Amino acid sequence: MAQPADQAQGAQPKRPDPLDRVYTWPHFLIVEFIGLMVFVVLLFLVSVLLKAPLLDLAQPEYTPNPAKAPWYFLSLQELLLHMHPSLAGVIVPGAVLLLIAAIPYFDKDERGTGVWFTTRMGVDIYRYSFIYTTIWVTALVLFDEFVGTKPVLRLLGLPDSAVEFLGNIVIPVIVMLTVFLLLAWLVKRRWPNADRRHVFIAMFTVYVASFIVLTIIGSFFRGESMYLVWPWELTHPH
Amino acid sequence: MAGNGEAKGSQQTGLFDRVWSWLKSTELFRSIYQNDYPRDRRTRVMVLTNNLFLHLHPNLVTRYSIDYRYTWGLGGLSLATFIILALTGAFLMFYYVPAVPDAYFSIRAFDTDVALGQFFRNLHRWAAHTMVIVVMLHMFRVFYTGSYKGPRKFNWVIGVFLYMLTLLMSFTGYLLPWDQLAYWAITVGVNIGGAVPFVGDQVRRILLAGFDITGATLVRWYTLHVIFLPLIAFWMMLLHFYRVRKDGFSATKPIPIEDHPILGKVKE
Repeated sequence: MAQPADQAQGAQPKRPDPLDRVYTWPHFLIVEFIGLMVFVVLLFLVSVLLKAPLLDLAQPEYTPNPAKAPWYFLSLQELLLHMHPSLAGVIVPGAVLLLIAAIPYFDKDERGTGVWFTTRMGVDIYRYSFIYTTIWVTALVLFDEFVGTKPVLRLLGLPDSAVEFLGNIVIPVIVMLTVFLLLAWLVKRRWPNADRRHVFIAMFTVYVASFIVLTIIGSFFRGESMYLVWPWELTHPH
Repeated sequence: MAGNGEAKGSQQTGLFDRVWSWLKSTELFRSIYQNDYPRDRRTRVMVLTNNLFLHLHPNLVTRYSIDYRYTWGLGGLSLATFIILALTGAFLMFYYVPAVPDAYFSIRAFDTDVALGQFFRNLHRWAAHTMVIVVMLHMFRVFYTGSYKGPRKFNWVIGVFLYMLTLLMSFTGYLLPWDQLAYWAITVGVNIGGAVPFVGDQVRRILLAGFDITGATLVRWYTLHVIFLPLIAFWMMLLHFYRVRKDGFSATKPIPIEDHPILGKVKE
């Protein structure tokens, strides 16, 4: 909307171009309706073909091996294998949700609203960040499985309490922050024109990619006693 | 509109057309549908303004909003899964007994003894998993299209709460079948959430209604699952949709890359 002062100088108020608008009925509703029908048909088809699981009656005295959380919490269960439970179960997910909720209050530049990845550069940054995160997460999981921080710390002759504190709290926090901040630095170096929105695309992609990678590892690569296995070696919990 | 039908001539119209036009002329039909099939501008607007549910939409949308590849309809499909879950959930509630061990046997009987029971339980389960996925994808879409900016700031925050509520609704439902899968997945899940620093034991006791997963836990989670969380989610969804309506759809005219306000600065 033009300010009264602009109008006094003969400036036309900005109005949406009428040619860019169409009637919701039928043009928009038909798209919604077809999408809904396809979705419902697919969901019904899946429900006809696949049975919802129902195992034996719960036996509190008999723990299955492995015992896994629902799939959307497997990324947190995976973190639990590598760090202090308070960190993995509460502090990291809590901080992630807070940061996600706070995004709009730090990225206020409204240019590019409604455009996928904002710019062509945004697409490149998204791809780069996804691959970067996948490599880091996979490497860290493998390192902790086959080497681990604690054996290295013990080799240094540290007392057990120091090994626990460093290995469970200090090192995981440093590693997570490094992965996060190093990416921001790399993006700024590789794309000098990247503004805040583009750095946020990189950082949000760390969340997206690590959630996906950790969920896949937890679902298909964690076998008996949560040791790493190949998907074809997975056995039923027993 | 009425003149249109008469102009076609009475000899040509078949039985179906005659019954249909009689039906449309009845007082009952006209009391339900206050305007004819929307073919002109006036009735196309009326069909939206006269309908509570369609009134969620504006009368006009930008032509970019009708390209399904922009949103993939993920927000609407989240609502669709919620409605499917509410309906199938009510059907499951007719038979479900929130007690130990009756819960397990009531679910097993529901699968075998109730007409379409197995199908509706499958639908409830797969729709629940689908809802988690669709809500997540919706969040990813809103982020990557930058639709959280400007007037939509707070709606993004509401969306983050709805995402958490979706996970909690799914998680509380996980225990209800009271089978080995339910019991141990919840044990692991509660251990994850019960690791809150300083007040972890208290949090665990509130979540479990005691020290272990028992019948008391089942009643507590059942109550959360069927009334408390869905009610909160329902009200937050109303807020969410109202803000979408007030702030407008984010789909805009795609800006050619070379003219882009941000990329315009980039020398490549």
